[in-house]
Amino acid sequence: MLETYGFVGLFIIVTLGFAAIMILLPVALRFLKVVPHHPTSVKNATFECGMETIGKTWVQFNFRYYFYALLFVALDVLVVFIYPWATQIRQLGYSGLFVIAAFMGIVLVGYLYAWKKGALEWN
Amino acid sequence: MDFTLLTPELTLLVTAIAVILLDLFISRKGFLTVVSLLGLAIATVFTFGLRDDLSQAAFSKMLAVDNFAFFFKLLFIGIAAMVIIASTDYVSKFKNFRGEYHALILIATLGMMLMAATTELITVYVSLEVASISLYALSGFLKDGKSSESAVKYMILGAVSSAVLLYGMALVFGVTGKTQIGEIAASIQLSGYSNLLDNPALIMGIVLLVAGFGFKIAAIPFQMWVPDVYEGAPTPVVGFLSVGSKAAGFAIIVRLFFTAFEFPESLSLDWGAIYAVLAIAGMIIGNASAIAQSNIKRLLGYSSIAQAGYLLVGLATLGIAPANEVIGRSSILFFLISYALANLGAFVAIIAISNKIESDEIKDYAGIGKRAPVLALCLTVCLISLIGMLPTAGFMAKFYIFNGAVQNGLLWLVIIAVLNSVISAFYYLRVVKAMWFNEPASLEKVPSSGALRFSLLITTLGVLFMGIVPNLLLTFAEWAARILRF
Repeated sequence: MLETYGFVGLFIIVTLGFAAIMILLPVALRFLKVVPHHPTSVKNATFECGMETIGKTWVQFNFRYYFYALLFVALDVLVVFIYPWATQIRQLGYSGLFVIAAFMGIVLVGYLYAWKKGALEWN
Repeated sequence: MDFTLLTPELTLLVTAIAVILLDLFISRKGFLTVVSLLGLAIATVFTFGLRDDLSQAAFSKMLAVDNFAFFFKLLFIGIAAMVIIASTDYVSKFKNFRGEYHALILIATLGMMLMAATTELITVYVSLEVASISLYALSGFLKDGKSSESAVKYMILGAVSSAVLLYGMALVFGVTGKTQIGEIAASIQLSGYSNLLDNPALIMGIVLLVAGFGFKIAAIPFQMWVPDVYEGAPTPVVGFLSVGSKAAGFAIIVRLFFTAFEFPESLSLDWGAIYAVLAIAGMIIGNASAIAQSNIKRLLGYSSIAQAGYLLVGLATLGIAPANEVIGRSSILFFLISYALANLGAFVAIIAISNKIESDEIKDYAGIGKRAPVLALCLTVCLISLIGMLPTAGFMAKFYIFNGAVQNGLLWLVIIAVLNSVISAFYYLRVVKAMWFNEPASLEKVPSSGALRFSLLITTLGVLFMGIVPNLLLTFAEWAARILRF
């Protein structure tokens, strides 16, 4: 019993120890002068290689894209579910067709709802 | 695939879709309440229609149609109906979102019904999320600061607990190689307990499952969301999640732990001990924190943590008692009905009172006894039932739970629970005292609508009926405690 839970305790100690080492290691190396400290503008850039960054990170997106993103996710999920059904369409027969039709019906109600509530209007 | 076994759930799904569609095309929104109640009534009829088909497995052993699921389906339909009736006036606060409100309540009920019936880990997770996500959305329905805060807190903490739960399921699956809980039990028995001890992953998995489900039932230390959500969310929704979500959590725990982890006995003693510790923590911390509350919804939040503690005494009994003994399970079921009635009644009374005085502070409840004698009387009966005093349902429920615990050698736990009941009397009776003995701020009457009075009457009479004539429902609970193992 104690031995069993001892493993859990050991796991916790190892986890905490690993996290502590990972956080303290760079600090310790800097302190021991193993890591030199000569900052330049190139070193402080966001990316070491690739395109030079332009402007600030806090770019504003139009909030209305969020509706389209949500509607797209629903469509995506629909496709993900239809695809495996389509590959096995003969074996699954009419009951499979019925289930997929019901599922599409539910998603369709969702789109009808979004349409009526004006989520597709750009104003 | 036999879809007739799924008719109650399918009815609720169709009703929810119908409510959403109707909401788009009709202007008389009161009709939505009628349609929702009609759907619940049809689901009840279908549930009763399956009574002759009980004790069978459906959909490749993913769902069980047994006495236990039958009991919880009726309980959840009843709770949803009460909540919908009680919110007929309240929904006018939601302006354009009345259809969504009813549809989400129905979908949450559907998720809870599936939770009570599932016998497979993945289905457990899916049904739990169906119920939870609807409840997250419902808690934010008032769209003011506190309501949004409660919804965000509930959702983030809920997501964390889901992650913990999934981790637990993954570990259990890793050890046994099965997701169907009957097959998990067979796999555990096959490998033997001594082999399991060499492999702590199963114990770790069970501990994580306890933590994940502990969030749903508001057990300490997974209760952080409770006070804020109870204070901020719309009152009918709080009533719904305080009884529905908790009952669903207990349903799934009882079925999973009873079926999958009951044998070997040393394993069930292990998780019985975990639940005993959680019970003590829940009762003591819940009651101690409730004493300091000045807001009645927060008070009921902490009280629900303490009530979960009493229910966990039942789960501890379930772990320690021999598997063929019915008392652990039936006393939990009986307690859940009594708690559902008393807590729903209390919340309905709070809806009616705060409609008029527009405050949830206990000091503003001064003199409600003179301003609305019937409301105050019903609230008093419900609070007395939550304390567990005669002649109410709460007394009988606690009596059966504690009786089962004592019979299985948990006397020490019961002593702590009874002491806690005495402490809890202090803060419940403080509300009662404020209502009857403090001077009212004004003598204006507190009006209440017919729908509120109707649901309040049903819950209060139910509380008294269960307290005075408990035999009928106790027999039902014992019948419903038969869980199918396969």
